Amino acid sequence: MHSSTQTAAAATKMTARNVSVWYGAKQAVRDVSIDVSTEHVTAFIGPSGCGKSTFLRAFNRMNDTIPNARVEGRIALDGEDVYASGMDVVQLRARVGMVFQKPNPFPKSIYENVAYGPRIHGLAAAKADMDAIVERSLKRAGLWEEVKDRLAESGTALSGGQQQRLCIARAIAVDPEVILMDEPASALDPIATAKIEGLIHELRGRYAIVIVTHNMQQAARVSQRTAFFHLGELVEYGETEVIFTNPKVPRTKDYITGRYG
Amino acid sequence: MSKRAPTDWNGPVMQRHIRRRYAAERRFRLLGLGAVLLSAGFLAFLLVTIGAKGIGGFSTAFLTGSDATDPVRAGIWGALKGSLLTLMVTIALAFPVGVLSAVYLEEYAPRNRWTDMIEVSINNLAAVPSIIFGLLGLAVFLNFMHLPRSAPLVGGITLALMTMPVIVIAGRNAVKSVPPSIRDAALGIGASKIQVVFHHVLPLALPGILTGTIIGMARALGETAPLLMIGMRAFIATPPGGIGDPATVLPVQIFLWSDEVSHGFVEKTSAAIIVLLVFLLAMNGLAIFLRNKFERRW
Repeated sequence: MHSSTQTAAAATKMTARNVSVWYGAKQAVRDVSIDVSTEHVTAFIGPSGCGKSTFLRAFNRMNDTIPNARVEGRIALDGEDVYASGMDVVQLRARVGMVFQKPNPFPKSIYENVAYGPRIHGLAAAKADMDAIVERSLKRAGLWEEVKDRLAESGTALSGGQQQRLCIARAIAVDPEVILMDEPASALDPIATAKIEGLIHELRGRYAIVIVTHNMQQAARVSQRTAFFHLGELVEYGETEVIFTNPKVPRTKDYITGRYG
Repeated sequence: MSKRAPTDWNGPVMQRHIRRRYAAERRFRLLGLGAVLLSAGFLAFLLVTIGAKGIGGFSTAFLTGSDATDPVRAGIWGALKGSLLTLMVTIALAFPVGVLSAVYLEEYAPRNRWTDMIEVSINNLAAVPSIIFGLLGLAVFLNFMHLPRSAPLVGGITLALMTMPVIVIAGRNAVKSVPPSIRDAALGIGASKIQVVFHHVLPLALPGILTGTIIGMARALGETAPLLMIGMRAFIATPPGGIGDPATVLPVQIFLWSDEVSHGFVEKTSAAIIVLLVFLLAMNGLAIFLRNKFERRW
């Protein structure tokens, strides 16, 4: 027991302390503290509008793009405050990648979709390096076998599930440390969803993965830690098994058993 | 609870109702067809009459010569070259300034009272009568800055002032129509704002920007009034060698020739109109070609 808590502490990648997010005068997230580790997949669950996506977007400062969104509290990556004035947002987003709800490949070739990130960050010196990065990323995203003969085709011509895996390949091509997934399977059919979930299993341990989902079965299947949000508050956070079988807070139990949401 | 009587679909009331609906349908179709025929008819009438009158005016001398007092020797090349030079100046100024303004206003500018005011001003500027721009050009470029009179340089700058708001408005709409998910995707892997704009937003907005630009340029090509104000109505017997030489443009040449008393100029006026229309058609064709070439689907 003692040793397991120690390794968990060692693998902690990002910490959030007393984080609140406002949209103008409306508070979307209230005083949330949480740790995210490489060892576990962390799932954020909760009813629509509970602030879980907003909180997720605070981790890589995607809320910066929304006028009059304001973040308070401290979010740190490897102990470094991501909202500090010296933090380079461009570098932060390379280290903390993101996969969005709706697959959003660029209207460019499959190859270009994956190569774009490494190119703007100058990660590949020669064409051969880039080819290797593209192949490795597509393999890790479980898409290589399906697309290796048509890398020059448009990424938007793929099926929805393939597009989402392409977006995951694009995110891991820049070798991030954290991958944030905002309901990555909610626009996909059950088979494509199963592939994404299998992929999350394989990526666990290499990247710290945070997934927002309103599909509770999905949270139970893919995550080891679950955080339940309601009305902008973190109601309960703990091991997924405990949250789903023996939640401490009545509100969590009501949500899990489908009494609201 | 009262029992509802079954609807009598074949009864006289129902039949009349159905007939009335079909009649309304027919009336609307005929009205629409009539509207299309009316406008197409006017265009056909214009083309046929101009064509019939002007076709005899074409000759090698007409296509290679410049204005002359004798209608037999008068040619269109001088005015055509003047138009080309003027439009070159216009696009060189209006396109970069217009596109940069559009991108700045859409992607960078904060939403506040100042940008609202700028937006209203640009929309108003696009609707200002062209003669006003001519007066502005006369006052600023000729009387104050002492740029050469009657030159494509000044004509081009004046027309650029007119065309720029059109490009800004079209450009903003094109930039606005790029899906936000593409911006999120690029930002999410660490692209900087300027990379998002130049790698993703602008290429996707380009078809719309180009369409707007060419519409603005086509308007500039047909513009007469502001150019009269800055002296491009002089009698120019040699084609301009550069943007600083005295020149005239196609619509002004048409205006000048239509004013001539000599009977031979009637034919030349129609021929010049044909040249102008062909030029316009070519520009619109280019707009369609560019739009199809750069259009991406997703």
